[in-house]
Amino acid sequence: MSRFTDLLARAGLPLGPDRAARFATAITVLTPTTLADLRRCALITLTSDPTHVSIVDSVFTTVFDDLADPAEERGQRGTPNNPATPRATSPTSALPDATPGAAGTTMEFAASASATERLSNRDFADLTPAELATLVVAMHRFALRTPPRRTRRHHTARRGTRTDLRRTLSQARRTAGEPVHLMRSTRRDRPRKLVVLCDISGSMAPYARAMLQLLYCATGGARAEVFTFATRLTRLTRALTHPTPSAALARAGRTAPDWSGGTRIAAALAALDHNVTRGAVVLIISDGWETGDPTELATQMAQLSRLAHRVVWANPRTARPSYRPLAGGMAAAWPYCDAIVSAHNLDALDDLIDALAGRRSLRGADRQTSQFGSRQVAGDHPLHPPVAGRAGGSSPAP
Amino acid sequence: MTDLDVPTLRAALDAANYLADDALSTALLLAVRMGQPLLLEGEPGVGKTAAARALATALDTTLIRLQCYEGLSAAEALYEWNYPRQLLAIRLAESRGDPLHDADLFTEDYLLSRPLLSAITHPGPRPAVLLIDEVDRADDEFEAFLLELLADAAVTIPELGTRTATLTPVVVLTSNRTRDLHDALKRRCLYHWITHPDTTRVAEIIRRRVPAAADWLAPRVATAVSRLRHENLVKPPGVAEAISWATALHVLGFPALNEHSANATLGAVLKYPEDVDTARTTGLATLVHTDA
Ligand SMILES: Nc1ncnc2c1ncn2[C@@H]1O[C@H](COP(=O)(O)OP(=O)(O)OP(=O)(O)O)[C@@H](O)[C@H]1O
Ligand SMILES: [Mg+2]
Repeated sequence: MSRFTDLLARAGLPLGPDRAARFATAITVLTPTTLADLRRCALITLTSDPTHVSIVDSVFTTVFDDLADPAEERGQRGTPNNPATPRATSPTSALPDATPGAAGTTMEFAASASATERLSNRDFADLTPAELATLVVAMHRFALRTPPRRTRRHHTARRGTRTDLRRTLSQARRTAGEPVHLMRSTRRDRPRKLVVLCDISGSMAPYARAMLQLLYCATGGARAEVFTFATRLTRLTRALTHPTPSAALARAGRTAPDWSGGTRIAAALAALDHNVTRGAVVLIISDGWETGDPTELATQMAQLSRLAHRVVWANPRTARPSYRPLAGGMAAAWPYCDAIVSAHNLDALDDLIDALAGRRSLRGADRQTSQFGSRQVAGDHPLHPPVAGRAGGSSPAP
Repeated sequence: MTDLDVPTLRAALDAANYLADDALSTALLLAVRMGQPLLLEGEPGVGKTAAARALATALDTTLIRLQCYEGLSAAEALYEWNYPRQLLAIRLAESRGDPLHDADLFTEDYLLSRPLLSAITHPGPRPAVLLIDEVDRADDEFEAFLLELLADAAVTIPELGTRTATLTPVVVLTSNRTRDLHDALKRRCLYHWITHPDTTRVAEIIRRRVPAAADWLAPRVATAVSRLRHENLVKPPGVAEAISWATALHVLGFPALNEHSANATLGAVLKYPEDVDTARTTGLATLVHTDA
């Protein structure tokens, strides 16, 4: 078993000795006689998230390659009367150490680790679907976090807004049962909602796939609302809760049919419910090639920047040092963004993570594209007309 | 419960009118036999809550349920002192001129047991099934004391001491993934993602849940629901919606599932006006037609 768990740990699964021990216990409790049983023990004891399920599944398949019945797909199990019956194997031959392919598997994983290194600075648009898929494990290590907001949760505080009965009473015992000192409680913080708008029109499609894969891996669907747009706005959140990234992306593809065609960013923003964006951290992923009227985009962005807590724009074109926001849309939107990042390859994702968390230390800060827009100047004054091409605080390098 | 196996548990769940596949039955069995909490996740209405209920029935024991919500506190989940009674006692003692000590006020008599304490102190004969439903709706602080409880199967009441379970409850947690749970909590739990059942099983579940309905109804509704799930919907119908659609068709006495009856009952299966529009655009006739 140790090789199996080693491989899982290497694939990025948080796997302490407690989990490995639990897996072993499950095996002694169930004494699995089929690979299907063994796989179930592994899934139940080693995962805690739909994204882990895909990792365990693929490592299991790799380790037990020769033995596994390919028809036995998780979630596609048979009906009660017609259970999928994978080939029965004795428990001993099911052990990875007894598997001929085990040594080869280690090689494969080592290869995948170096592949990640090799791919980390390649533009997402240049990756084949298979190469992109190998980045799943690396992306799983990122954690998209947003800054906190206050909640309805209360805890004791001197100047709180709510009366705390328990404490008031314990005080009252010192004053002959008269509740004279009202004890108060106040609110707690929790992370803000993340709202993602992903442009899936023609040239953006490869980045969109990469970004959706990142969202899938790094948020596990938690508190992120994901929409795609090209010509119309489509809500994808649910598609991303699928247990495997490939199923999630396939579903996303089916859900959002317009993977090509023109881009109407302003219309997409206009279609967004204000209750979704209010107080949220909003991430827009687009190259800013608006086919509609840039003035309309500026109006929508102004409104969005007032509603949202932060607006972050990821534009892969900004990766080039020579980039200028000349595309009408990007220029119009620029003043209303709190941060603009490229997020065009694996290495660039740190900037994105920092921008979403509201940390100012952007790695590419020496590039004009990674600086902050002048939201304080333009965004907070609805009457201040945004000037196309004038990205306050980040004037183009000479 | 130590000799319980997967087929036996699955049959017992079936007898409780819950159709579980091998994966879910195994997860529930391991939760029982290993004494580890089980975290169940899956789409809304896929049968997470019902699984825990059915488990209690299958094990012939009590279900104790804690429904979580934002702001859920220890006082609502664990225990609370009966303050009005205590206050009265203090007043009474004052009027008599008796001195009252803390020890007199913080006794069993003034203790109100909430679900978590009830599960720990459950007298048996078998351990209770403790369902902590939609734990993602509660917040971090709640998770912290939940963790303590799960770690030791014990609750400490400062005034009374520690209550340790003589019968460790079988704990099932459910989450709809509206937020990430603490790693520490997840690490402590077994895990299972309930997938949406295939069309045959959906039909079988409908038969179980709407037993009075005509024979044609279950397979037709199951097929139509499966087609709807391939549409681009805000809320694709789950098991719960399949059941309520079948119930509506049955109660309203429609003789068949066709464009007309689908139109009249669409609200039972699609919850968003946008989804109703999408279904109408595809065409109700297409969505409910027979394969034959
Ligand atoms: N496998 C099953 N066998 C029998 N009935 C089922 C099954 N799955 C779901 N149901 C029925 O479907 C309905 C919805 O299930 P339930 O309320 O447990 O879903 P849930 O996952 O808890 O949903 P939510 O996320 O909204 O809380 C219930 O009436 C339940 O009895
Ligand atoms: Mg439920």
